[in-house]
Amino acid sequence: MGQRDTRMKNAFLAVIAAGLAAFMPLSAAAQDVAAPAATAADAGAVEGAQTAPGPEALPGNLTPAEAGAAPAGEGVYTPMAPTKGKGMPTSYQDDPVKSLTFQDQYSADGEYALWMHDVILLPVITAISLLVLGLLLYVVVRFNRRANPVASKTTHNTMIEVVWTILPVIILVIIAVPSITLLARQYETPPANAVTIKATGYQWYWGYTYPDHGEIEVVSNMLDEAAAAKSGEPHQLAVDNRMVVPAGVPLRIQTTASDVIHAFAVPSLWFKMDAVPGRLNEKMLTIKQPGVYYGQCSELCGARHGYMPIAIEALPPAEFAAWVKAQGGSMPGEAASEAAPAVRPAADAVAAPADAG
Amino acid sequence: MASAAPASEPLARSNLRVGALAFMGALAMLGLGYASVPLYRLFCQVTGFGGTTMVASESKAAAAAAAATGQKISIRFDATSAMGMPWTFEPSQATDTVTIGERDIATYVARNDSDHTITGVATFNVTPEQAGKYFNKVQCFCFTEQTLAPGQEVTMPVLYFVDPAMLEDPNMEGVEQITLSYTFHRAEAPQDAAPRSTN
Amino acid sequence: MATTAEGFDIHQDHGHDAHDHADHKPGFFARWFMSTNHKDIGTMYLIFAIIAGIVGGAISGIMRVELQEPGIQYLQWWAEFMGGGSDLNTALHMWNVFITAHGLIMVFFMVMPAMIGGFGNWFVPLMIGAPDMAFPRMNNVSFWLTVAGFVSLLFSLFVPGGTGPGAGTGWTVYAPLSTSGSVGPAVDFAIFSLHLAGAGSILGATNFITTIFNMRAPGMTLHKMPLFVWSVLVTAFLLLLALPVLAAAITMLLTDRNFGTTFFNPAGGGDPVLYQHLFWFFGHPEVYIMILPGFGMISQIVATFSKKPVFGYLGMAYAMVAIGVVGFIVWAHHMYTVGLDVNTKMYFTAATMVIAVPTGVKIFSWIATMWGGSISFKSPMVWSMGFIFLFTVGGVTGVVLANGGIDDNLHDTYYVVAHFHYVLSMGAVFSMFAGFYYWFPKMSGRMHSELLSHLHFWTFFVGVNVIFFPQHFLGMQGMPRRYPDYAEAFHFWHQISSYGYYIMAGSMIFFFVNILYALMAGKKAEANPWGEGATTLEWTLPSPPPYHQFETLPVITDAHDYHDHRPATA
Repeated sequence: MGQRDTRMKNAFLAVIAAGLAAFMPLSAAAQDVAAPAATAADAGAVEGAQTAPGPEALPGNLTPAEAGAAPAGEGVYTPMAPTKGKGMPTSYQDDPVKSLTFQDQYSADGEYALWMHDVILLPVITAISLLVLGLLLYVVVRFNRRANPVASKTTHNTMIEVVWTILPVIILVIIAVPSITLLARQYETPPANAVTIKATGYQWYWGYTYPDHGEIEVVSNMLDEAAAAKSGEPHQLAVDNRMVVPAGVPLRIQTTASDVIHAFAVPSLWFKMDAVPGRLNEKMLTIKQPGVYYGQCSELCGARHGYMPIAIEALPPAEFAAWVKAQGGSMPGEAASEAAPAVRPAADAVAAPADAG
Repeated sequence: MASAAPASEPLARSNLRVGALAFMGALAMLGLGYASVPLYRLFCQVTGFGGTTMVASESKAAAAAAAATGQKISIRFDATSAMGMPWTFEPSQATDTVTIGERDIATYVARNDSDHTITGVATFNVTPEQAGKYFNKVQCFCFTEQTLAPGQEVTMPVLYFVDPAMLEDPNMEGVEQITLSYTFHRAEAPQDAAPRSTN
Repeated sequence: MATTAEGFDIHQDHGHDAHDHADHKPGFFARWFMSTNHKDIGTMYLIFAIIAGIVGGAISGIMRVELQEPGIQYLQWWAEFMGGGSDLNTALHMWNVFITAHGLIMVFFMVMPAMIGGFGNWFVPLMIGAPDMAFPRMNNVSFWLTVAGFVSLLFSLFVPGGTGPGAGTGWTVYAPLSTSGSVGPAVDFAIFSLHLAGAGSILGATNFITTIFNMRAPGMTLHKMPLFVWSVLVTAFLLLLALPVLAAAITMLLTDRNFGTTFFNPAGGGDPVLYQHLFWFFGHPEVYIMILPGFGMISQIVATFSKKPVFGYLGMAYAMVAIGVVGFIVWAHHMYTVGLDVNTKMYFTAATMVIAVPTGVKIFSWIATMWGGSISFKSPMVWSMGFIFLFTVGGVTGVVLANGGIDDNLHDTYYVVAHFHYVLSMGAVFSMFAGFYYWFPKMSGRMHSELLSHLHFWTFFVGVNVIFFPQHFLGMQGMPRRYPDYAEAFHFWHQISSYGYYIMAGSMIFFFVNILYALMAGKKAEANPWGEGATTLEWTLPSPPPYHQFETLPVITDAHDYHDHRPATA
């Protein structure tokens, strides 16, 4: 079933992601955070399931020795500071042009979808709208009562009727090709060893569990305005505890809900999936680079529908492993560490996000 | 009333006929609306739509086992307790690797954390959705309601196999793992009904 | 060519005695409360739709004012005003109540009554040369059921609905938010309101189908019917086949809520996703129900003011039939994110895009009708041209949304809000204003002010575009629908959108002043104020038409192809 290939591909992706991270200011934090050697080794193997990969899977800038420095526990994980304009909406004041269109995309499917929109759909729909507007204006000028006092009696022209039936069909077929391709890509199934995260919608917050990483349960509530300002994040999008995931490796996102239907949506990843009580939905997601990506519940779920945002923090795999450790979880293939306390803060917003561990 | 006087007798009658036909059309659609409930369920059960799993007989299981080629697939087990369901409900193991076609058993553990007897019923589906028609259950705790006394903990088995026919389905190409998901709901039966013990 | 219909012309040949008899009206109460006259019922529907439109429009004003700034400004005040608590949750619940009420009112109590009840009742019998509807008493029942539905909906606003007063489920009333998620009778009243309005519409649809099939004047074959009548016929079929499914679905909701059934409750073996399938099996035809009569009106108006017959009549008629048929097999494009498998999503993507073809045929046929015409830009015509352009803009964003993969980002965002307001708030509403100005002289016997109607058009055109065009940007940036509050990044375009609302609301002053002016001081309308381009039967009658018309049926002959319905002698 090509598991081996996939695993190699994933290990490769992990290296790339980690390498990429090395060039980002974010990874400065990574060096300090670090993880125990064993964890770091496994970090490369987030996707490696049972077997630990060779050292080549380790992030280039993080040797096991360095990684071994920091102990697991309180304080090793500091929430990443979001980058303005990345993974969040852009205001008109910040960038008038960017505020008119989609957010920058940080997943392969998102890039493809954005390409399809920008290169195919937008030009086509703009052209059609302008064509209709142009024809209307021409008719206004050319066939008004003064310019054309005597109306023609033409009511048929088979040729043109065939043309304006066939032409839209051709345009639609042209659109359908990338559209079907996009769907096929979006429905690619995750490899067996993808990092699995289950997002559960509650009235009105999200809960994230990591079934392969011990008993980690993240409860994610919206930060109030003051707390968001304090942590330098956009209000209405910032949360106390983020859904932390590794970047560059396939994720298996599963959604369900406890009470009513919610929807797990992150615009900058082109990702939206309903969370329906009594059933599980699943979709693969690969986040190309580390960062904080915000989203919001997108299915009317009652009074505080607008107050249960989603924040995904994508970390280089090694840092993800450190985070897992800090939450009291364990990487797959490693013996479970001490039982983790389930995190369930009060519904009130909490400023300090790293309250688990 | 309009005065379409002279020819009104036959017109009134034909109006009634057309009107009655139209109204019957509406009634038929109303019936179809209700019929959609069992029809949809049947449709899902037959086609696996929405990730609905199949129920297999012993003979079908035997046939699948005979067709097994030794290829493996990973199965993930997922458990959720719905709102208002004070049960701890978890799979005994998060994942398992099984031979396609061969029967396997998985167990879930449920514990009633409340101080009264509760009857629960489980809904289920598999992901990816196209795997529904290949995921066969021979026996499942979800086939019946489960009643747990306060504090009672039970281990519940699922006897299942993955149909080797999936290997021929292009829609199943690249599927490396199937997730079997259960959600336990409080059964709609009256809470104060006499506790029945099934386990 | 053969001459027929001798003695048809009411106001010429035997005008006088016919007039006395034809214009004999019952007393006030009998006329307006027990009305069986299609024109009176049509008038009542129009007045009702205007009242509902004011209520629905005022609610959208509440929403735009609230959304002008981030944070919660006025909802707490509204929560207290409506009799709820002053806490934040009640305030936020009020938001959901407003979006729900706005949606339901605009769909069921503004657009549908105006299009089908109002213009359909008034002009279908006139255009096919019938004395009245087939079932005049049932017609009256339809109207009062609609009114009762509206009352039930308004009542729901003031009774408990969970977190606060009113039903806060969205017009889609998705389970389980509408079942276990909303305790209190408000949702029951809202559902009951849909039952009443739906029953009224089903009866109305039966009435229209019978009238159109059975009561056409001699010689008026189906292929000679004016396109507006075609549009109402297709609409009536959509109503007849779609509304009962909604009725079934919401009845099941009602029993799930109150009688312990579990149609949509997973705990009893039900499936909330099934409700969505049922709702949208109704809901998608419903959007065509709202726009098809508009298509019909635009066809009449464009032909009239271009002084040209409609281009490609048969194509136009069957494009509507095609839209109606395809409308029944695309419903799940409203549910792309609910968890459909890839094949289902590909099918619905492809099927949805197919609708663009007959829609395109209609757009281009309207333009071809104008092409070579001698166009006079009277108020109905400018509204129609506005319709054609704005409906195109709404249509092409529909093609974007049809792509299941693209919809993964845009689903339930403001992009969708912008899309359906372009096709409805600009499509349906522009066609309604076009139809209103087109037929107002016929209905009232008075001419409205062309100046005021043009002012109304231009200010309304600017207003709605300023409201809704920026909402595309908001949607693409990720602003979800049905949110009372938002991140600061969305502020600017929300603010612009709210300014657009004020322009639009101000523009409505021209509309109301115009009606008042026309009724009080408007000059008397001739039988046909629009000239030689107006060829359908209603223009052969005086303005307003006599209380009973066509006591001698007009005869349409072969001399008239489907572009000209005037009896040969007229």
